[in-house]
Amino acid sequence: MSRRLHIEVFRYNPLDPNSEPHMQSFYVNEYDSMTLFIALNLIRDEQDPTVQFDFCCRAGICGSCGMVINGRPGLACHTQTKDLPDHIVLHPLPVFKLIGDLSVDTGTWFRDAGARIEAWVHNDHDDFDASAEEVRMENDLANDIFELDRCIECGCCVSACGTARMREDFLGATSIARIARFYLDPRDERNEENYYQVIGNDQGVFGCMGLLGCEDVCPKHIPLQDQLGIMRRMLAIHSVKGILPKRVLDKLKHKGCCHESH
Amino acid sequence: MDASTLTLHVRKNGAGVGRLDVMQMLSGVLLIVFLWAHLMLVSSVLISPKLMDAIAWFFEATYMAQVGGPLIGLLIFTHFLLAARKMPWRASETNAFVKHSVMMHHKDTWLWLAQVATALLILVMASIHMWVVLTDLPITAVKSAARIQSGTWLPFYLVLLPLAEIHVGIGFYRIGVKYGYITKANRKWYQRLENYMMGGFITIGLITLIRFLFLTV
Repeated sequence: MSRRLHIEVFRYNPLDPNSEPHMQSFYVNEYDSMTLFIALNLIRDEQDPTVQFDFCCRAGICGSCGMVINGRPGLACHTQTKDLPDHIVLHPLPVFKLIGDLSVDTGTWFRDAGARIEAWVHNDHDDFDASAEEVRMENDLANDIFELDRCIECGCCVSACGTARMREDFLGATSIARIARFYLDPRDERNEENYYQVIGNDQGVFGCMGLLGCEDVCPKHIPLQDQLGIMRRMLAIHSVKGILPKRVLDKLKHKGCCHESH
Repeated sequence: MDASTLTLHVRKNGAGVGRLDVMQMLSGVLLIVFLWAHLMLVSSVLISPKLMDAIAWFFEATYMAQVGGPLIGLLIFTHFLLAARKMPWRASETNAFVKHSVMMHHKDTWLWLAQVATALLILVMASIHMWVVLTDLPITAVKSAARIQSGTWLPFYLVLLPLAEIHVGIGFYRIGVKYGYITKANRKWYQRLENYMMGGFITIGLITLIRFLFLTV
């Protein structure tokens, strides 16, 4: 027998001086393989056209429909209502600027983070030939890079991060995974010191407190904490080069590490 | 003096936060090892009070208690200073983190609040414990038993023991996570290990306290 879902939605329009933040209840009849995305669209189509939420691809690719679902950040389109209790509470993602109701501006945050970590290939070549054939890459390495490039920038990991919520300038797991992608890429010629200057601080890898929220909510199941650990270890070892014996550092560097193809 | 001595406009290579992070981790690891060793040594009273006395005598004859004790105190304080860089000292930070923990209902997030709370309590209580023990050397099983039986000290240790073991257990697990040794693949296994170790050490500690409580003074 299908359930009648009680969906509570956070309502607030920060641009309207008369708008008061409050929770509004909606009731929807559940049907087979209903996702939260479908339920929200039903609400908007049939009950209240003013409910604001973002969506685009409805397939977990665009990263627009991130929201807090019963306390956990996740994608509305990736969440089936049958996996939730019949009382569902929806909030906008924290950390990001609220546009209205469940809609937040993740774009500005990610653009800023991308600029701060300099998320582009760095090299000193001034003889770039745009018509030349691309240099070939080993398939395994390409796969490793792609594994990190799967991020859809939905912002769930940032919203699930205790550090990011306390400290606005924390770059978050997504940025570290992003820079790890360049670290793996042989076309990026930044050395460890270059990476250290970008993320070797409390806003980057050393700000992470290992709370694992990022990894536990990532809708794309990217091993965010593992990646953070690898980058943190690499940069921590870099910071004590010359203090601790090289032999010990080399040993620590490779112990229990994945993604070691670079 | 170089260009980076007085201005933040010039960055110095390598140095800085990374070293603080390594020091925080190393001081933590040393304290974890110390606390486990400490508990094993004190629990030698379970085998025989004479054995505990002999061990205590050894540590004093070699001046490890007289010198090592205050050094451990210093290590605890250093570790506190380093780790306190992450504590939510501002009201807005505490507010954000508590709200976040309530929202997420996520164990690893809650554990960090436990880590902060136990840290502050341990800082005070471990200082008291060290002062009491180190100003009344030599350590003997009979003197320890007398302290436990005096009344006020039993509740004190019944609080300090689990606090310290919980802090150390979570810290051990967290270091593994932060430095990429505990990964998605083995996390469950390490969590179980951490729970067993925490439970095991608290149990040994409790049995030791009971032994002191019933030791003839």
